[in-house]
Amino acid sequence: MRRPNKYESGEATQYISRRTAIRRLQISLNDFRRLCILKGVYPREPKHRRRAQKGSSEIKILYHAKDIRFLLHEPIVWTLRDYKIFAKKTGRDRAIKDFRNLKRRLALYPEIKLDHIVKERYPTFIDALKDLDDCLTLLFLFSTFPSLHLIPREQSNLCRRLTIEFLHYLIASKSLRKVFISIKGYYFQAEIKGQKVTWIVPHYYPFKPQSKHEVDFKVMSIFVEFYTIMLGFVNFRLYHGLNMAYPPQFPSSVLQDNPETLKDESTFVSDRIAALNFELLRTDKVQEDEEDPDIDMELLEQDGDSKRIIKMKQDAQEVARLRTLFKGLKFYINREVPREPLVIIIRSFGGKVSWDSTVFAGATFDEADETITHQIVDRPSLTKQYISRDYIQPQWIFDCVNQRQLLPTNKYFMGEVLPPHLSPFVDAKRDAYIPPEERALHDPSLIETHAQSDDESEEEAADEQAEQMLLDAQLERAFHDENIEDKKYGGRDGVSKEDEEVPSDEDEDDEEAEDDEEEELDPKTKRKLEEQQKMSVQSGKVHKVNKRQVHKAEVDEHRLQARMVKPRHRDLFRKLIREKQSKEKEEWLLRKKRRNIEATAKEAKKTAKREARKAAATAAASAAKLSSK
Amino acid sequence: MSVTKKKRISKKNKSAWRKTDIQDVEQFLEDQRQEERIGTFADKKDADLFVVDATPQKVKPIILTPKEKRKLNAKKPMRSHQALENTSKVQDPIVKRNHVKQKKNGRNIELEVCNPTKGRHRQANSDRARYYEKLDQRLADKNSNLKTAKDIWQVEDFRDKIPGLKDEKGWISRELALHITGNVGRKVVKTHESLRHSTTKAKKFEPPHPGLSYNPSLEAHQDLLAKVVDREEGIIKTEKHLQRVTTRMFSKVTPEQRDLRRLMEMSEGVGDEADEVVENEDKADENDDKAYHTVNAPVENKKKSKHARRNELKQKELKRQHEAKKALKKQTADLLRIKSIRAEVDAEAEELNELKKHRKKVAEKKKFEPKRLGRHKFVEPDIDVNMPEDIAGNLRNVKPESSLLKDRFQNMQKRNILPTTVIASRKLAKIKRFPRSSHKEPGVSYQDLRQQRKATAAAAAAAKDTIKL
Repeated sequence: MRRPNKYESGEATQYISRRTAIRRLQISLNDFRRLCILKGVYPREPKHRRRAQKGSSEIKILYHAKDIRFLLHEPIVWTLRDYKIFAKKTGRDRAIKDFRNLKRRLALYPEIKLDHIVKERYPTFIDALKDLDDCLTLLFLFSTFPSLHLIPREQSNLCRRLTIEFLHYLIASKSLRKVFISIKGYYFQAEIKGQKVTWIVPHYYPFKPQSKHEVDFKVMSIFVEFYTIMLGFVNFRLYHGLNMAYPPQFPSSVLQDNPETLKDESTFVSDRIAALNFELLRTDKVQEDEEDPDIDMELLEQDGDSKRIIKMKQDAQEVARLRTLFKGLKFYINREVPREPLVIIIRSFGGKVSWDSTVFAGATFDEADETITHQIVDRPSLTKQYISRDYIQPQWIFDCVNQRQLLPTNKYFMGEVLPPHLSPFVDAKRDAYIPPEERALHDPSLIETHAQSDDESEEEAADEQAEQMLLDAQLERAFHDENIEDKKYGGRDGVSKEDEEVPSDEDEDDEEAEDDEEEELDPKTKRKLEEQQKMSVQSGKVHKVNKRQVHKAEVDEHRLQARMVKPRHRDLFRKLIREKQSKEKEEWLLRKKRRNIEATAKEAKKTAKREARKAAATAAASAAKLSSK
Repeated sequence: MSVTKKKRISKKNKSAWRKTDIQDVEQFLEDQRQEERIGTFADKKDADLFVVDATPQKVKPIILTPKEKRKLNAKKPMRSHQALENTSKVQDPIVKRNHVKQKKNGRNIELEVCNPTKGRHRQANSDRARYYEKLDQRLADKNSNLKTAKDIWQVEDFRDKIPGLKDEKGWISRELALHITGNVGRKVVKTHESLRHSTTKAKKFEPPHPGLSYNPSLEAHQDLLAKVVDREEGIIKTEKHLQRVTTRMFSKVTPEQRDLRRLMEMSEGVGDEADEVVENEDKADENDDKAYHTVNAPVENKKKSKHARRNELKQKELKRQHEAKKALKKQTADLLRIKSIRAEVDAEAEELNELKKHRKKVAEKKKFEPKRLGRHKFVEPDIDVNMPEDIAGNLRNVKPESSLLKDRFQNMQKRNILPTTVIASRKLAKIKRFPRSSHKEPGVSYQDLRQQRKATAAAAAAAKDTIKL
């Protein structure tokens, strides 16, 4: 048997340098780059570079040999070679000024077909959804680009079209979950078929040129080329999942034909589609009636209530509430506010929205509409204001979505200093020290309790109580006025009122039923009932929790847990416990610190107040003396 | 036309008279006679006098551009073929030569299209029609957005596409079907799993730091700022270290000092030698009679005596015995020390274990880090942050930091999708330029010089005038 030579087996044969790969595929470096990006073949780092590079220790770009062998089968390699031929032939035609042939050749430009590659890279639809983050971010970015060197205008137009289509799906499916304004751009997170898809939309500012030295535009353009095809297929599938017509169309009822629309129908329609403000044509004629999540929950109920199922149920409820967050509200977007992100958010949570018709096509109502409930403004003041609506800053919308409830608008009024905009990507229920201010932002109900618990001294409490009473009264009056107003204008949140009324009717029904029962009962049971009525209601006792017992039970449980841990996991368990303890300790320390600070602050405040009062008393006394004199 | 004055000639002699020019008189008389013969102009009709000029006007010579000339030239037979042309006046001796009929330059396709005479012409016409149909279809497809309007994730079997492979009766196994597809020319290529293997465990989407908010809470922003400061301090530290280790390791001197040092170094020993030579000569004069003497002691080949050798061997043997005894003693003593030895072994094992753990941890950490794919190492980009004075607190005045494109590009590099590259600006080669020897600078003519002189004189005169005034 022949003795194998060095580097004939093992790692040296597993890897191929880029040069070799290019030679083997017989394409140029640029074509190879393109092929690799389209096929999703990326360079690898070997375990032992020297061995993989057959003894050479310089750092080369290496590929897996199997990957390259896989590329050899690819039919688009032939198209890439055709490009070379095409370039030669058209170049010749151009040189000898044979424009007839040139035109013919240009029309027969060999198009790359990527359908099979999309299928190959993402065998299932869910796989494609998992990789949608990059795709969406890039396409949203490219949709803002003008035509640049290496980035043709058609590409950015295509990006715009596809992203708009995706946004339409988002609105129709109401799958948006989290939004965040950062200095990078707008973060959006949607849940599509159980997959969390996150993307960034750049701020709406004029295009800023990018230096060539930082980013390889050619490479990014190839990525975008692939992603456009992919998003096209994803959009088609998503639209069909919702029984919507693809490409997006409007039902004939939405757009009446008038001379203006008939003049240039395609641009008119595409403008309206880009406005994102109309419902799209559905193929099934049935209006949306989404009950399926509830059904799922009912099915789950049979499995018993473990903690996870309870949590899932809660989440489902929360999401159901979130999907109709802005239902019944009518928004008007002022000119200075970025339109698109707000329209997406408002519409995907059931609100109605419009804007100045000179800003963008597709406005449905104008500013003078009295039924508008909220006007979104981003300027310190406004000359003409309507009393029937709230003038809020755009952050209100974002914060409402992140906290999944309608927040009080008073903090977000026009010209107010806004509360901080918190990231929804940070878990609010994390077990670490959360300062009370932040906690209050997440749960506004905590504000009042926090404020009330602060004032312990009787006088202050009395003062503040009086103030509170006054405020409450004012609020009540305002609420009353509002109610009257609502009745006048036909009720802006009619839904909630109906909901309130329904249970009361039920109660009455119940009482009547009881009365009926009493008449029918025989004397024996009557006596029993009377006895029951004689039974008096005793004053209840406060259920006292035996803290020691509880603590003991906890400790016991913990011990049991510790005993049940497998020996090989013991270290991990200990580590977890230690971490927990340290975290608790830290939290306790911070809380203590805070308490101390607050106590000192309060003390200082109290003394200041007392001194002020003393000073006032002395002043009064001196004044009295003066007057008596 | 200017009438030249006739030169007066003397008419003294008869011969002189003969020189008189009477041609004009003669001409006049001749004309008169002619008129008498054929009549005057007034008698003639216009038609008899004038003739309609039927010859075309002389056309201006067309000046051809080089391009047009080239085109015209292209039509002419090639120069290189001129040598092949038969210019001989001699007739071909072979009468019945097989003449090769030269083909005309290309077919007249237009003629073929307009009135097809042969079957292939008709075929070509129909083919062309089909091609244009296809082209129209293609152009229409290109403009519409229906390219991606299909469901590619539909579950489909490769056997459905090829007729005859549809296995209704269960006769054709899957393997057989796969084999046939290869031979039919529509091979089913299986993607190997390694392709979908991700080389990093880093997350695709990194949640933004809460301090990146356009209106961040104080804590979050401070936290982010602290991070930025940490990073920056690290960079400064490494920079300082590098400077300490490289630049500052060497002392600095002024150029004068450097030159002086060089001079000293190069002239080291030159003057001394001269001095020494002088001194040596003096010394040589002084102690000429003393013998040669070196500093080192002379080498001697000293032999050991037999007795010494024997003694040495004995000593060696004794030492060996002593050591063996000692080892035995230690062994017996170690029996008592077993416990502590065990502890030592344990400690060593523990140490090794620790090392193993550490290595494992490092390897695990490495899985999340970007790999080294190319010549350049991935350097974590700077953290984007709004400085406190830049935070406006409202959406209208947000100061967007960072470019999203760059961010994405670097993210891909981080996830091992792209190798880290540095786009080098292409440096132009240094070219030494010099004027051609045939080209000379335009010199100064005498006229120029005169004008210059005049101008200066005028200026001086004007200056003088001003002074006078």
